[in-house]
Amino acid sequence: MTYSVRIGGTTFPNPVLAASGTWGFGLSFRRVSDRLGGIVTKGITLEPRDGNPPPRIHEFPGGIINSVGLENPGLEAFRRQVLPAMDKLKCRVIVNVAGFTPGEYATVVGRLRSRRVDAFELNVSCPNVRTGGGAFGQSPRMVETITKAARSRTNKTLIVKLTANFVDPVDTARAAVNGGADAVTLINTLHGLALGQDGRPFLGGRSGGISGPALRPFALFCVDRVAAKVDVPIIGSGGIMSGQDALDFMNAGACLVQVGTASLVDPDAALRVWLELKQTVPGSRASAWEDIVGRTRRFD
Amino acid sequence: MKSATSCLAEIESHRQLADGIYSLWVKAPRIARSVRPGNFLNVRVADGPDPVLRRPISVCDVKGWSVRLVYRVVGRGTRMLSRFQVGSEIDLLGPLGKPAPRPPEREVVICGGGIGIAPLLYLVRDLVGRRRLTVFLGAKNRSELILRREFGSLGLRPRLATDDGSTGHKGPVTEPVLAAAAAARHAAVVACGPRPMLAELVRSLDPVPVWGFVEERLGCGSGICYCCALPKKSGGYIRFCQEGPVVRLNGVLL
Ligand SMILES: Cc1cc2nc3c(=O)[nH]c(=O)nc-3n(C[C@H](O)[C@H](O)[C@H](O)COP(=O)(O)OP(=O)(O)OC[C@H]3O[C@@H](n4cnc5c(N)ncnc54)[C@H](O)[C@@H]3O)c2cc1C
Ligand SMILES: Cc1cc2nc3c(=O)[nH]c(=O)nc-3n(C[C@H](O)[C@H](O)[C@H](O)COP(=O)(O)O)c2cc1C
Ligand code: FES
Repeated sequence: MTYSVRIGGTTFPNPVLAASGTWGFGLSFRRVSDRLGGIVTKGITLEPRDGNPPPRIHEFPGGIINSVGLENPGLEAFRRQVLPAMDKLKCRVIVNVAGFTPGEYATVVGRLRSRRVDAFELNVSCPNVRTGGGAFGQSPRMVETITKAARSRTNKTLIVKLTANFVDPVDTARAAVNGGADAVTLINTLHGLALGQDGRPFLGGRSGGISGPALRPFALFCVDRVAAKVDVPIIGSGGIMSGQDALDFMNAGACLVQVGTASLVDPDAALRVWLELKQTVPGSRASAWEDIVGRTRRFD
Repeated sequence: MKSATSCLAEIESHRQLADGIYSLWVKAPRIARSVRPGNFLNVRVADGPDPVLRRPISVCDVKGWSVRLVYRVVGRGTRMLSRFQVGSEIDLLGPLGKPAPRPPEREVVICGGGIGIAPLLYLVRDLVGRRRLTVFLGAKNRSELILRREFGSLGLRPRLATDDGSTGHKGPVTEPVLAAAAAARHAAVVACGPRPMLAELVRSLDPVPVWGFVEERLGCGSGICYCCALPKKSGGYIRFCQEGPVVRLNGVLL
């Protein structure tokens, strides 16, 4: 029996990935990284970014709100300094890419030809600077444009990470497929605002993104909904803390899952999720996941 | 840096030192062996997701296989921590953070304010015999001037200050510290306490090097989330949980 999952041209040895922005570049805890299905890097932009002023994190019962603001070394420093260090990793590497114009996504993807990069995950949650406002991810047309732009520059596996902020992810998932995506990740953080007692926004970035267990029911709903309507492999993300949570996402239709906030609490969390998930598999099929992925819809 | 792992540690003693201030000894051989002054532990206070995140607490002292944490109850997480019973186990992640550098200066002025006294004990233990030390401790009142006996048993005679004048100098601890640091010509200052105290020391003593424990909000504490930005004077941020918690305050914006 195999636990592996294939998406595009990439085979992941197991379905549990470390999510973007919550695992650095996978180098701090290599003993964990190397046993996961793969790791997703921090979001990389064309230019280096300092990120938002502090505080960058707020906590509420069941979750956190972050406003890191895409702090990252930028494409060139990532390519020259970080990527060579990632050579030691034995796991699959997905590079998360963010941009402020479709061209920026294409440039970053196009310049990362290293064999150490197995796949890209396009984070379309950034604001569109051209139109000075709404996030790309809210517009199916922009999602398709960005996906196409990136697709034209790489043959590697291409994943689009969708937002569920003010948009039906069914529409943007279709757009990603039309643009040539091999898979979609559902969901990124949801908008959140935290205020101080005097009414002042608490986070340095004013508002931020909600993650953690509080996000889970809605993320699960989105995975189930998109799985029913769009024929595309789905990577589940949102509040996964345990093997049972991961199994829920797979039952709802995800073929891979990502562990984010849980890793901030315990660096072993993603590995623990995988080991717990493995325990739940009956082990009677050629592929462990055959009877599991999408099982929920059989009850409809 | 070796990557930290979490472990369950048995609570050996847990008692109140002053109003809202607690001392916790845990048996944690792996941590006790490797922890350095300046390091902190990220403590899990709840089983479930409320609160989701751990709470960072500095290592106050180490003895044999045991590690001491001293903390003040300021909110929900620390209140939950205060309820842990002797004999029960607690989930600790660490040691985290960069060990505090030993200042190259021969003379070091130590300044602890309030709960900020706690992390300085282990650091001072490391500096005794290596530097000429003058220790200043300040708090709201006499009972919150914690760990006086421990500093005393290192052969030091801390100079004290209280807001209400119940012991030592009446007024902020910065007043006697500034006088002493100004008199010493080649001293460095190592401080831990409220931000306004740290800011006052840097401002008034410039260009004397002031090293300080800063309290920033953390996400992971282990370098993977970039939630812990401390602004540099030169622009940009330091990833405080990796480059701190003890930083040279002259280079950052407090
Ligand atoms: C590296 C490091 C070492 C620390 N060492 C010690 C220590 O040795 N002893 C000790 O008593 N405390 C220490 N602290 C502070 C301690 O972590 C916070 O007091 C604690 O996390 C508050 O949790 P809470 O749930 O009780 O409070 P919350 O309900 O989360 O907040 C209550 C109040 O505490 C403030 N607060 C919350 N988190 C932090 C934080 N990370 N830093 C500063 N203020 C905060 C909030 O602004 C609020 O006013 C340290 C912090 C850091 C970053
Ligand atoms: C501190 C932090 C930083 C994040 N940074 C990114 C990022 O750079 N790119 C991205 O696509 N998602 C980012 N995310 C979103 C996570 O990858 C994940 O999709 C989301 O947090 C939901 O999953 P979780 O509840 O398991 O954390 C970040 C999340 C957190 C908490
Ligand atoms: S707290 Fe996560 S990187 Fe510092």
